[in-house]
Amino acid sequence: MQGVIGAFVELDSTVHAIEELKKRNFREITIYSPAPRHELEEAVAAGPSKVRRFTLIGGLMGLSFGYWIPIWISDYWPLVVGGKPVASWVPYTIIGFELMVLIGSLSTVAGMFALARIPRLTLTVGYDPRFSHSDYGVWVAAGPDRSLEASDVLRRNGAVEVRNER
Amino acid sequence: MATMVPPREERVLRQNVPSASNRLPGVKNYAQVDREIVGTLRPTLGWFALLGTAILCLLIGISTWMYQIHEGLGAAGYHPPVMWGVYIVTFVFWVGIGHAGTLISAILYLFRAGFRTTIYRASEAMTVFAVMTAGLFPILHLGRPWKFFWLIPYPNWRLIWPNPKSPLVWDVFAILTYLTVSATFFFIGLIPDIAVLRDQEKNPIRKRIYAALALGWRNSDNEWRHFTRAYLFLAAFATPLVLSVHSVVSFDFAMALTPGWHATIFPPYFVAGAIFSGIGMVFTIIIPLRKFFKLEHYVTINDLDAAAKLCLFTSMVVGLAYLTEFQVAWMSGNRVEQEYFWNRVFGQWTWAAWIMLICNMVLPLSLFSQKLRRNTSWLFALSIFINIGMWFERFVIVIPSLSHEFEPWQWGGYHPTWVDYNILLGSFGWFFMWFLLFIRQLPVMAIAEIKEIVQPRWRRHHDDSHDLDVQVIDPTLTLGDD
Repeated sequence: MQGVIGAFVELDSTVHAIEELKKRNFREITIYSPAPRHELEEAVAAGPSKVRRFTLIGGLMGLSFGYWIPIWISDYWPLVVGGKPVASWVPYTIIGFELMVLIGSLSTVAGMFALARIPRLTLTVGYDPRFSHSDYGVWVAAGPDRSLEASDVLRRNGAVEVRNER
Repeated sequence: MATMVPPREERVLRQNVPSASNRLPGVKNYAQVDREIVGTLRPTLGWFALLGTAILCLLIGISTWMYQIHEGLGAAGYHPPVMWGVYIVTFVFWVGIGHAGTLISAILYLFRAGFRTTIYRASEAMTVFAVMTAGLFPILHLGRPWKFFWLIPYPNWRLIWPNPKSPLVWDVFAILTYLTVSATFFFIGLIPDIAVLRDQEKNPIRKRIYAALALGWRNSDNEWRHFTRAYLFLAAFATPLVLSVHSVVSFDFAMALTPGWHATIFPPYFVAGAIFSGIGMVFTIIIPLRKFFKLEHYVTINDLDAAAKLCLFTSMVVGLAYLTEFQVAWMSGNRVEQEYFWNRVFGQWTWAAWIMLICNMVLPLSLFSQKLRRNTSWLFALSIFINIGMWFERFVIVIPSLSHEFEPWQWGGYHPTWVDYNILLGSFGWFFMWFLLFIRQLPVMAIAEIKEIVQPRWRRHHDDSHDLDVQVIDPTLTLGDD
């Protein structure tokens, strides 16, 4: 993919560059930052993460599985003690709860991996080690016809380095 | 999430929510954070000496275990009627230690307690290694340890299943879930920091290892968006899990018809004790760490003061539980129960009970003094007393009950042998070996979260000395954004 990457040292410059790029109808913008920042999140305005769906589905599956295991075991190998029911839901709630947490947590992580597209084998075009250190990066997809315009926006908003990447 | 972008003139610096109440005036910029925290990864002679000592202790424990397997469990001081001894005491002790890490990383995260930011990584590592240590003890306690997997419900050729109404089976589910979830939570939080190490590492082999562990993390907005949300949900899952795990451990005792054990107070009593002992161990680890790595400007006196208040609070909850136990026995009218508690405090086990009461109830009251809460030497000394006191708390719970049950023929004594002591020593060696390896391979503090506290560079305020003048929005106003 062809585009332009700009490196910034200041947070507000980065936000201004994102806003101007969006105003000029650049659609594919990726921001790199050493830490999550609300200002960048708001400038990108990407909407809430869908990780919550994985959490809910995983949690419900874990809960059902956690009740099903002891009920099936008790039914298969009944231990009748003191006239109590073979399948007693009260003690099985412990196993149900633990498996809800276990499978819910693991599916949350799986959801995060799927949505954030990790693990990835190679770092993508435009990534620079300084973005994990202290600088901010704005990568914008732009064909040859718009790369000059994108570079100009990034420079005007305070990018300390701008380069074309493909 | 808000979608409106304010005009440039009105833009203000907005503190990130989880770290909102924390300030690190000694940390000026992101480069300093990377330099100082990544700088802790260089091994020193002192570190090698400590690691060697830990491995030696572990080897003593392993060789003693081999001796015990050859000789049988009798070598470990088990003698009827006391058939649960130091191993079960130490199992509960290490599970308890493992609770503070998740309390600090998950529960305090949900409560937006900023002081957790600089201490949670070391506490999480402590949790994972403590639960790994605890998990060894039920196996050490088995006469045939190679049959430990019989507790897991798996399809076997005779189709015999464990009893799911047994607290021991609940324990298997609870401990394995806790180990898996706390290790996952620990690793997920590490990913962005490992990416920092990957980008700064010069050694090609270490760089490749860090690159594999960082999973190709790039710090992009898409990754941060899903990461922060997943972290929040993991914290929300881990919070009730912390409370459930030690409740389940307490059921190992409370479900039995044994004097002193069969009590409904046990789950909250155990949970409070676990958190209290875990905070004690956090002090034992964090205070030397901040001194030797020269990180006093990260783990500030204010952070230690806040953690000490939490320690004082949990100590008082634990103290209340001790007194409630006595009161319940006194008011029950049950002579066996009353005799048991009398025997615990003024009879056969008086020495152990008073070590417990003084270390866990009396000495922590010193934390009402602000001067002592801010004195690191006292906090460290107190943490050692708390560790000792909490080990004896579990001793006092396990041994006196089994040695003084309903009938006189069930009364007896208990004397741990050198086998018990060596394996206890080995468990400390195992725990500290992992912890020492961790602090030289991975960052002991969360680099990305500390960067959230540090003021970012701002075009309107090039002069760093004015950074704190930037207007900060009240963080509580952001809670309903998404």
